[in-house]
Amino acid sequence: MMNHFPFLTIIVVLPIFAGSFIFFLPHRGNRVIRWYTICICVLELLLTTYAFCYHFQSDDPLIQLVEDYKWIDFFEFHWRLGIDGLSIGPILLTGFITTLATLAAWPVTRDSRLFNFLMLAMYSGQIGLFSSRDLLLFFLMWELELIPVYLLVSMWGGKKRLYSATKFILYTAGGSVFLLMGVLGIGLYGSTEPTLNLEILANQSYPVALEIILYIGFFIAFAVKLPIIPLHTWLPDTHGEAHYSTCMLLAGILLKMGAYGLVRINMELFPHAHSIFSPWLMIVGAMQIIYAASTSLGQRNLKKRIAYSSVSHMGFIIIGIGSITDMGLNGALLQIISHGFIGAALFFLAGTTYDRIRLLYLDEMGGIAIPMPKIFTMFSSFSMASLALPGMSGFVAELIVFFGLITSPKYLLMTKLLITFVMAIGMILTPIYLLSMLRQMFYGYKIFNVPNSYFFDSGPRELFLSISIFLPVLGIGMYPDFVLSLSVEKIEVILSNFFYR
Amino acid sequence: MEQTYQYAWIIPFLPLPVPMLIGVGLLLFPTATKNLRRMWAFPSILLLSIVMIFSTNLSIQQINSSFIYQYVWSWTLDNDFSLEFGYLIDPLTSIMLMLITTVGIMVLIYSDNYMAHDQGYLRFFSYMSFFSTSMLGLVTSSNLIQIYIFWELVGMCSYLLIGFWFTRPPAANACQKAFVTNRVGDFGLLLGILGFYWITGSFEFRDLFEIFNNLIYNNEVNSPFVTLCAALLFAGAVAKSAQFPLHVWLPDAMEGPTPISALIHAATMVAAGIFLVARLLPLFILIPYIMNLISLIGIITVLLGATLALAQKDIKRGLAYSTMSQLGYMMLALGMGSYRSALFHLITHAYSKALLFLGSGSVIHSMETIVGYSPDKSQNMVLMGGLTKHVPITKTSFLLGTLSLCGIPPLACFWSKDEILNDSWLYSPIFAIIAWATAGLTAFYMFRIYFLTFEGHLNSNFQNYSGSQNTPLYSISLWGKGCSKRINKSFRLLSLLRMNNNESSSFFSKTTYPSDDNVRKRNRGRPFINIVHFDNKKPYSYPYESDNTMLFPLLVLVLFTLFVGILGIPFNQEGTDLDILSKWLAPSINLLHQKSKDSVDWYEFFKDAIFSVSIAYFGIFLASFLYKPIYSSFKNFYLINLFVKIGPKRRYWDKILNVLYDWSYNRAYIDAFYTTSFTGAIRGVAQLTHFFDRRVIDGITNGVGVMSFFVGEGIKYVGGGRISSYLFLYFSCVSIFLLVYFFIPFDITFESFI
Repeated sequence: MMNHFPFLTIIVVLPIFAGSFIFFLPHRGNRVIRWYTICICVLELLLTTYAFCYHFQSDDPLIQLVEDYKWIDFFEFHWRLGIDGLSIGPILLTGFITTLATLAAWPVTRDSRLFNFLMLAMYSGQIGLFSSRDLLLFFLMWELELIPVYLLVSMWGGKKRLYSATKFILYTAGGSVFLLMGVLGIGLYGSTEPTLNLEILANQSYPVALEIILYIGFFIAFAVKLPIIPLHTWLPDTHGEAHYSTCMLLAGILLKMGAYGLVRINMELFPHAHSIFSPWLMIVGAMQIIYAASTSLGQRNLKKRIAYSSVSHMGFIIIGIGSITDMGLNGALLQIISHGFIGAALFFLAGTTYDRIRLLYLDEMGGIAIPMPKIFTMFSSFSMASLALPGMSGFVAELIVFFGLITSPKYLLMTKLLITFVMAIGMILTPIYLLSMLRQMFYGYKIFNVPNSYFFDSGPRELFLSISIFLPVLGIGMYPDFVLSLSVEKIEVILSNFFYR
Repeated sequence: MEQTYQYAWIIPFLPLPVPMLIGVGLLLFPTATKNLRRMWAFPSILLLSIVMIFSTNLSIQQINSSFIYQYVWSWTLDNDFSLEFGYLIDPLTSIMLMLITTVGIMVLIYSDNYMAHDQGYLRFFSYMSFFSTSMLGLVTSSNLIQIYIFWELVGMCSYLLIGFWFTRPPAANACQKAFVTNRVGDFGLLLGILGFYWITGSFEFRDLFEIFNNLIYNNEVNSPFVTLCAALLFAGAVAKSAQFPLHVWLPDAMEGPTPISALIHAATMVAAGIFLVARLLPLFILIPYIMNLISLIGIITVLLGATLALAQKDIKRGLAYSTMSQLGYMMLALGMGSYRSALFHLITHAYSKALLFLGSGSVIHSMETIVGYSPDKSQNMVLMGGLTKHVPITKTSFLLGTLSLCGIPPLACFWSKDEILNDSWLYSPIFAIIAWATAGLTAFYMFRIYFLTFEGHLNSNFQNYSGSQNTPLYSISLWGKGCSKRINKSFRLLSLLRMNNNESSSFFSKTTYPSDDNVRKRNRGRPFINIVHFDNKKPYSYPYESDNTMLFPLLVLVLFTLFVGILGIPFNQEGTDLDILSKWLAPSINLLHQKSKDSVDWYEFFKDAIFSVSIAYFGIFLASFLYKPIYSSFKNFYLINLFVKIGPKRRYWDKILNVLYDWSYNRAYIDAFYTTSFTGAIRGVAQLTHFFDRRVIDGITNGVGVMSFFVGEGIKYVGGGRISSYLFLYFSCVSIFLLVYFFIPFDITFESFI
């Protein structure tokens, strides 16, 4: 099924291709580069939206907009793209967040050509990952993603940027080894000719032992990215050091690649192994919620506190994936989108606050609500969104995950009770760390030694950015079908594997 | 008539435009929005008035022909799951609607003046209107999920409003405390909702009751699990209504502006817990033990709140504990199954307490100009006194509210409280005795507040009166007279268990003492020379009455306090004595197989009423005995002197007083206990996990990194590029090889030999 117009290829290739022209732009300051980048991003976002609006049927669970070109004939390696209900959400999220992140990166002046190029390269890598239908292509895109992040962290980061960047690259490269082994293992199993097409692989069955081994391999790779404890320690360091526009991409999209991989590969290809491992996933997820929340409480560094809160929220995704129910998986997908917005916004606000007060530790801050009421408002709103206040997207996602867990027929009552209980304790811990963060930053009264000129409130660009993230958060919170209607059909298909095999 | 019901969905959304417009305006066009300022109060009051007219209409219809109207929209996620959102209009809803809108309008009018000079005037009104939205949504919601959603939203409004003056550190702490404590309750609520969903498969009230009834009937439920779920549901109500284990947030919530305390923390939001229990009473009544639990929590709160209110020096805190105690009465009534009296008390208490809070706000407003804007001073009852002359209208309305709360006929609370007290005799004598005794305590602490505030002379300017008295006025400590020395002593003993706020209290006792001694030594010379701490810029200024905008709501609420009792007074009309409230609540009462009271026995009624009123009078007498300013009448002075001279007995008495004082002043040590245990534990866990994360998990990673570094260095050292070491390696390898070469054939031959 070939489309007439190769939308996906264009969408994937456009940013990196157009981005490479940045180096040929005339030397007229950063202004040109900024506007060029933002135009590319907006163009890409519009193109994506157009393609999805007019060439994608959301009630069709099959792969759509398929493109298939032979790339390396020797081992059947194809440039094979396609999207379905599972990937359309993350792709749109990527477009949205990356566009806003390039907007957020306007204050970056050092080497801004390279910076913007790297942002665009990441754009391509992420969309390529979410839309690839070939296992090896998936792996390539996965790796393509790492290099820009490494450079972004190591060149534009904070004081410990080299340490953090090295840690990041080692962790993720270590995970990639397992990913590569898994890819080759699947590809070479069975026939003499390697099969890397995900559609064919989804219907293949393996001996249980092999399936478990492959499952573990992929799981480790995704667990590093998601992250799942105890493989999470790269995240707070990287987030703590990176520039906030990079943080937005990291928290908003990069983490979600792990979750996407878990659903796309581990659930779709290895249903047996997944149903064996799912109780463990639930336990790990519940532990992660509590563990990361309480670690977050012990952090003095503002960005690390938010980073741990991301780790904690990823626990809901893991539980949703582990529950093997329609509801749970829908909730996990919704949480992917919702946390993509909220996490990105929180990092953005933390970064802009840091730009102004130049203080990193919470106990040194205080009383900045009076000079910066707008930042205070936005920060409070997103903290409320993050602590799952009803009416915002986080609440719906977590509630649906709860329902998924409760209605899951796979588990005994006692297990469900315990897991629910532990998750609900996380619900108490979340406001504690978020609100005490707010209190330490904004409440109270303090006279700073810094000259007052730094204390201007957020300007129109920053306000536009936070409001444009806030609106979808509210929208999804009020009417979650915006997102859910895209994925419901596909999820039913994925889950039917668990009952008919 | 149907039409009113059809359009009832609009009720929660009517006040919503105000916060949206103000929010957008403040973010995008701050200067223009701020210039409009007072204009914004008008639409919020107008919209709420429309809601009031609407809900009056609904209530009248409910009284005349009460039927339950429900309308739902369903939201389908997939084939086997759908959520239904809708609204439910029944007697309970209509009562709550009336309550919220009437008190809300009064408070909005009041706060227009109260907040007039505040920088956050607009913010205040947008929060208030958003609160109205979410509270109206809460009472009209038709299923548990909807309840949970609005439940959280009112919690958020309360958080924002308590932290309204965010530059004050106590307010910052208080709002976080309130939110987290309420989250603990919500935790229970959510788990309870999920549990009942698991049992019955429904969130909707009427389906839930029906299915659950059938299950009970067929004996298909796991009784401990059901009890657990019900208790968890009840936990939500416990937190919101400030019942015993989770009441700690309410007194701290008084850091917010006073109109908020009147609306949210006295009349409406704290009643949400009562509302929830009342709503779910058909469910709870079927489950063993849970009703007992509810009444037990209720009675504990009644007593605890009353004892804690005894020694507060902050006028609003005193009222907050009183609120807690009265909410305990309602919970007790619900636990006893007397649905009607609980709701009756809810109504009467809401008006009386709103009146009291608005009155105290008026007092604070007028005190602020004299003692300064810190709540430690402007709300401090020690600095008040003698306000009768200066703020007569506020005084009269406050007195009426106090009398009502004490249960003096014919004011509103008398009727409802009397009903609860009577019902408690039927339930359990022990509970009844506690409830009656607390009625006396209520009268005592309320009149203590009243006397300290309005009687005597203004204490912040007390220098004027110093000459003639041997006992300095200032040393009339909050707990009667002369026992503050011991308090001071015991402060040190128990200082381990204290919260942070003992600084302010010790500040207080320190300032009393020097002055006290001073006066005694330099008898009548130049007394009180060293008390100039309270920065009195204008030493002879007096507070004056608040503006008419503030007095108008007070007077309206006085009217409510006077006449709202009529709702529940049975009228003997041709044999059928039906009061309005019973008529209003008819379907719900039928639902709860109301104990069939044939007719009100007036003799019984008078007997009980006289008893309860006499207890209240006893409390008032005691309060006037202890707190009535001594110089005002010689008789009292003489009496107290006589009392002082009793000697050893007095010592014993003092001891009791001190214990009580400490108990009450330190909030029964519960807050301190929570601080040391829960907060400390959470901090400890946080430190521990942080350490674990840093040292162990990250340590392993870094360890691997460091190890690989050393291995690399080692290899680098080996491959150092020195020819001699290469040669050495080469020759040693060769020699080993030769040795092996020599020995192995021998072995083989040896083996082959055998």
